[in-house]
Amino acid sequence: MIRVTNLHKRFGALHVLRGIDLKVERGEVFVIIGPSGSGKSTLLRCLNFLEEYDQGEVLFDGELVGYRKANGGKLVRDRAANIARVRAQMGMVFQSFNLFPHKTVLENVIEGPLIVQRRNRAEAIAAAAAFIKKVGLDDKTHVYPSKLSGGQQQRAAIARALAMQPKAMLFDEPTSALDPELVGEVLAVMKTLAADGMTMVIVTHEMAFAREVADRVMMMDEGAVVELDTPERMFNAPAHPRTADFLRRVLH
Amino acid sequence: MGYTWHFNVIWDYRIVFVRGATITAQLTVGSLLIGVLLGLILGMMRSSHLKLLRGPATFYIEFFRATPVLVQLVWLYYSLPILTGVQMGNVASVTVGLGLHAAAYFAEIFRAGINSIDRGQLDAAKSIGMIYWQMMWRIVLPQAVRRMIPPFINEFATLIKLTTLGSVLAVYELLHESNNLINNTYRPLEVYTALAVAFAVIIYPFIYLSQRLERYWQVRS
Ligand SMILES: Nc1ncnc2c1ncn2[C@@H]1O[C@H](COP(=O)(O)OP(=O)(O)O)[C@@H](O)[C@H]1O
Ligand SMILES: [Mg+2]
Repeated sequence: MIRVTNLHKRFGALHVLRGIDLKVERGEVFVIIGPSGSGKSTLLRCLNFLEEYDQGEVLFDGELVGYRKANGGKLVRDRAANIARVRAQMGMVFQSFNLFPHKTVLENVIEGPLIVQRRNRAEAIAAAAAFIKKVGLDDKTHVYPSKLSGGQQQRAAIARALAMQPKAMLFDEPTSALDPELVGEVLAVMKTLAADGMTMVIVTHEMAFAREVADRVMMMDEGAVVELDTPERMFNAPAHPRTADFLRRVLH
Repeated sequence: MGYTWHFNVIWDYRIVFVRGATITAQLTVGSLLIGVLLGLILGMMRSSHLKLLRGPATFYIEFFRATPVLVQLVWLYYSLPILTGVQMGNVASVTVGLGLHAAAYFAEIFRAGINSIDRGQLDAAKSIGMIYWQMMWRIVLPQAVRRMIPPFINEFATLIKLTTLGSVLAVYELLHESNNLINNTYRPLEVYTALAVAFAVIIYPFIYLSQRLERYWQVRS
């Protein structure tokens, strides 16, 4: 479903991604862990081209993301409309929720179907209601984000992403900005998605959650993949000392 | 000082003021339209990540802010025809000149409003597949407009005042009509006083409104 080959990204002199290779299968839950500043967010943002990459390739469902091959095989930036079309097939959930504050929960959720997919309003509302119910916010349908708790905002953000009927979902530390008592409700929603067979790429520090739902876990450090394995092996017997060290620190 | 005011002169010649005010309003509305439309385009260009768009917009804005309006107006009226052969009438020159000038200031207001929207929301908009115009129209502008309105009203008030520069190109706006009236009546004190009061009465409500809105939105956000 997602295939990344030799991905490099620089911010000026800072070499943030140093040749990442990975493959996420359809229906797989792929968790990325690693210390802060190791490039996890940047990698995730390259997958849907919120960040332009300098070298290598990102393929989504067989399509090159962000670039197209010009005559002679050179990569040139794709047309904006095409980038947007590929992007819309991946839902993204952010650490800071990023709901549209001038829109209610329902308006946030129907925005994509209505404006991007040009679906008819009644149909979009009916579909949105189902997603809002799925994340447990049916009693908050007409409420503005500023009146919601962090956990509720994040669940609304998940519903907004799901409403586009994406082929995969990207999560960038979805619970890191939440009070501890609100983390569970968001993870619970993510577990139901995993159970439904959604393809998910998740950056998280919630190791218990990763152990439970991940098919594979990737450890990143300094812009490179340190190791990539099943959660059982990764958490019980990490192959690399840097993984062991990192796990010891996050698990106290 | 034993000056005896003769404000009846103003009443006798009220038609002159009405005539002047009509032209003043015409200059204001015309230049406002040009300024807002061009300003919106320049503001979006300047907040673009493309150098090709940002560069020219920045140059335009800085250039028009760094030169006196009066110089811009006389240049448009006297120099442009020599260079291009296009001679606009004096009313058109002042309308276009003030419009081009105001565009630089409106552009900065638009840019500040656009930039005030948190980048995370732009990421979210892009992630659901929005293209630039959809994002602008649906997400950025609806929120930015509220922050733009107070400075926008201030700039509008400034624009009304700037229309008096039209007198230099012999446009019969309020100031020019007043000067003519003085030549006929020899009553500069009454005429200029009435003129100042008229402008204050027209403009102050806008300034007041802008201050109230600014405070109102500050409290709510
Ligand atoms: N837009 C940016 N401009 C410059 N540097 C950035 C930018 N985004 C991230 N970085 C830098 O790239 C590195 C990796 O960041 P990030 O991908 O956010 O790491 P992580 O998500 O693993 O904490 C950090 O050193 C960060 O400061
Ligand atoms: Mg991060």
